[in-house]
Amino acid sequence: MSHAADASHAHAPTSTGIDHKKLIMWLFLASDCMFFGTLISTHLLYRKLYPTGFTDAEGHQRFVQNLFNIELTSFSTFILLMSSFLMALAVSAMHKGQVKSFRRNVLGVIFFGLIFLGCQVFEFTHFYHQGLTIQNSVLGSTFYVLTGTHGTHVAIGVLWLILLYFYSFTGKLTGHMAGLDVEIAGLYWHFVDIVWIVIFTAVYLVEYLGPSGFWGNGLPLAK
Amino acid sequence: MSHDSHHAPVADKMELAPERSDLGLFRPDRTRGLFDWLTTVDHKKLGIMYGAFAMFFFLVGGVEALAIRTQLARPDNDFITARMYNQLFTMHGTTMIFLGVMPLSAAFFNFLVPLQIGARDVAFPRLNAFSLWTFVAGALVLNGSWLFEFAHLAGWLDGFAWHQALTYTDFAPANGWFSYAPLSGTFGQANAALQAPRFTGVGTDFWIIGIQVLGVASLAASFNFICTIVNMRAKGMTMMRLPVFTWMTLVTSILIILAFPAITVALIELMFDRQFGANFFNPSAGGQPVLWQHLFWIFGHPEVYILVLPAMGIVSEILPTFTGKSLFGYPIIVFSGAVIGFLGFAVWSHHMFTTGLGPVPTAAFSLLTMAIAVPTGVKIFNWLGTIWGGRIRFTPPMVLALGFIWMFMCGGFSGVMHSSAPADAQQQDTYFIVAHFHYVLLGGVLLGLMAGLYFWFPKIFGRMPNAGVAYLASGMVILGFNLAFGPMHYLGLSGMARRTHTYHAGNGWETWNLVSTIGAFILGIGVFIAFVNLVYTAAKGQKCASDPWDGRTLEWSLPSPVPEYNFARSPVIAARDVYFEHKHGVHKLAYENDGGEAGVHMPSQSWFPLLAGFGFLIIGFGMPLMSMGVPHAGWVVIAGVGVMFLGIWLWALEGPGGYMLKTPANPLGTTAAADAATSAH
Repeated sequence: MSHAADASHAHAPTSTGIDHKKLIMWLFLASDCMFFGTLISTHLLYRKLYPTGFTDAEGHQRFVQNLFNIELTSFSTFILLMSSFLMALAVSAMHKGQVKSFRRNVLGVIFFGLIFLGCQVFEFTHFYHQGLTIQNSVLGSTFYVLTGTHGTHVAIGVLWLILLYFYSFTGKLTGHMAGLDVEIAGLYWHFVDIVWIVIFTAVYLVEYLGPSGFWGNGLPLAK
Repeated sequence: MSHDSHHAPVADKMELAPERSDLGLFRPDRTRGLFDWLTTVDHKKLGIMYGAFAMFFFLVGGVEALAIRTQLARPDNDFITARMYNQLFTMHGTTMIFLGVMPLSAAFFNFLVPLQIGARDVAFPRLNAFSLWTFVAGALVLNGSWLFEFAHLAGWLDGFAWHQALTYTDFAPANGWFSYAPLSGTFGQANAALQAPRFTGVGTDFWIIGIQVLGVASLAASFNFICTIVNMRAKGMTMMRLPVFTWMTLVTSILIILAFPAITVALIELMFDRQFGANFFNPSAGGQPVLWQHLFWIFGHPEVYILVLPAMGIVSEILPTFTGKSLFGYPIIVFSGAVIGFLGFAVWSHHMFTTGLGPVPTAAFSLLTMAIAVPTGVKIFNWLGTIWGGRIRFTPPMVLALGFIWMFMCGGFSGVMHSSAPADAQQQDTYFIVAHFHYVLLGGVLLGLMAGLYFWFPKIFGRMPNAGVAYLASGMVILGFNLAFGPMHYLGLSGMARRTHTYHAGNGWETWNLVSTIGAFILGIGVFIAFVNLVYTAAKGQKCASDPWDGRTLEWSLPSPVPEYNFARSPVIAARDVYFEHKHGVHKLAYENDGGEAGVHMPSQSWFPLLAGFGFLIIGFGMPLMSMGVPHAGWVVIAGVGVMFLGIWLWALEGPGGYMLKTPANPLGTTAAADAATSAH
């Protein structure tokens, strides 16, 4: 990236004072809200219609509470939240020009992101062996596509941060633009995190609400 | 790494020293001809290409429409088969909406928005090129289905094992532009290959991935335009001084970024149903087909306003120009445009009254639909107020713009009729609906866009279309249109159903169907004449002055054709309708002290948006091939994803680049100075 171009193009004052790149990321996130909103609505609509879960390969009626491993998902949720904390530190470090601190923190974000993805892979495999497939029920379709789409977002974020990490060794990730580039990656990362909080609440936690589950499927909560 | 030589200001990009990007690849800045068009990031050239593709697909969609009308000219006709009829009406609707109107609107967005706000380009020039090429990829995927269909009809595919294994062999989409589930989806249990039986052939898969790719193009373009309008306005160009066309571009873009995700998700879900045996819309596994309708229309109704708002913006520019008056009630026009955009998200279920929503939602959506007629009516009155007392010049764009108001109003009236749910129950799926939305989308949008073409062609190419031919074409379009679609009101109310490939004699429909077909041909020939007129003008038309209409907005202050840097010096805006004020009022245009010998910054050209778009083309053909059961087709999709990521990765690492281009020192020194600077073109 040439510095002359930086000086004359990217630094040109904008009408709002917000950099183009940051503005377009906010616009993308607005659009992504509708994207996840549609997916989450699909899942909730079908949960309301079919509160009793799914039927596994042996023909047994299965309840969602017996399938979910809420301890594991709580753990991976906590990890993702903490990754957002590290991301904030990475952004702050890059704004101050502390590249080494940025690298340390962003490696932490990448590591935590990979742990989250690992948990999701484990969860998917576990659920599959428990009999929930994308083909055998509406629940399987909505659950795997919704959480899988979120996982894809996390994976893209991890890939982005890995590229930023290696890019920081080329010496080109410096100055005001570097802080901005990292901040934009941070916006994306925080957004994906916030979406997960919504998914964790709407898809996982509500199943444990009330004496017989939020959707009223009649299963006593005690396992 | 020194870019000094590259960044010394030059008078022409061909004088640039070759520049290597960070990857060591040469940037295609110093190109002419075909390579220049393929790698350009200039919003004006991208706009011209959008327009050219859109006009081509308008003609394709028009031919499909004429085939439909020929089939319906006589009762019990067998001009085309029922199967072909389904494919034709599906592709006609899809083509006109996604490959005709939307890209033609995008052509105007591209060409005009930076000029109207006093900017030198859009916020993300390479992203803009990506939008164009991704749109082209989606268009080729959708229409590529015809190649498979014709190959199948000719028997060329019979020898393939995968072809013999197909249950359904319709290769072109045949579900209507809305592709309602469950017809577009699956039923029963998924097999070992994770696929459930389907109701339709591969055409639906072409449609799914084609629309998905077009959605990517529209989303990318809309992010770019919102960013441009919000962030790149010239000094003094406040939001309430923006030309109305730019305002409507902003509202349309916001609608696109909020409405398209719904169809994106719906298409993903439908794709999972068809390719991987999921159950989103599979009724035998508990899937609810009506969910598809909701998701589709949550996108589909805002889409209607995505189509019409740009045309309203165009008309709002043309009427003041040819009446010599400023737009009556500018803030109200802007506000009602925004209200239409907002309410556009709250009326989708009026497409679904007959699905049995229940009395409360039906009443609510009915009321909201009536409510949305209010801001629309406000706009009509504002336009009438603009014309009132003006010195009207009946130029071709003005004739078409007046046609727009009149025809759009007729469409609005029938729209209010079926906002009433009991009336809609009678009209649903009849030709009355066909008449309604053609009055809105053809009498409204097409007339508006044609008006825009005739209005801005002199600016785009510096040449004036032949007025006689333009009047003839406009007359034929308006006459033919009313002959074609007026009778459909009667046909619909007397019970003729949509989407049936023929009808029996004796229902009293023969005469009006024949009239309608004759009208359709007059309309088709009129549009064709207009397009020939325009294409001829672009190449060989009479040269004209840079401000032939006594224009009002900033683009008319520029030479025609507009130089590649747009503004030799950045304008400073002191009023609405700034150029008209400059010519006839007290507020004069001022300029910042930039450009000149120091040059203005131009973005570098790039191959990678094209490469990323090409990746989408490969994905787009790979997915239907997978559906056909062609061996190893999955690898085609993976290769396509790889090409797309490679394009985006190289694009990111390449950096924006850029060079400095000298401009004439005196921006309002009319065309002579600017022509000298660009004479190498």
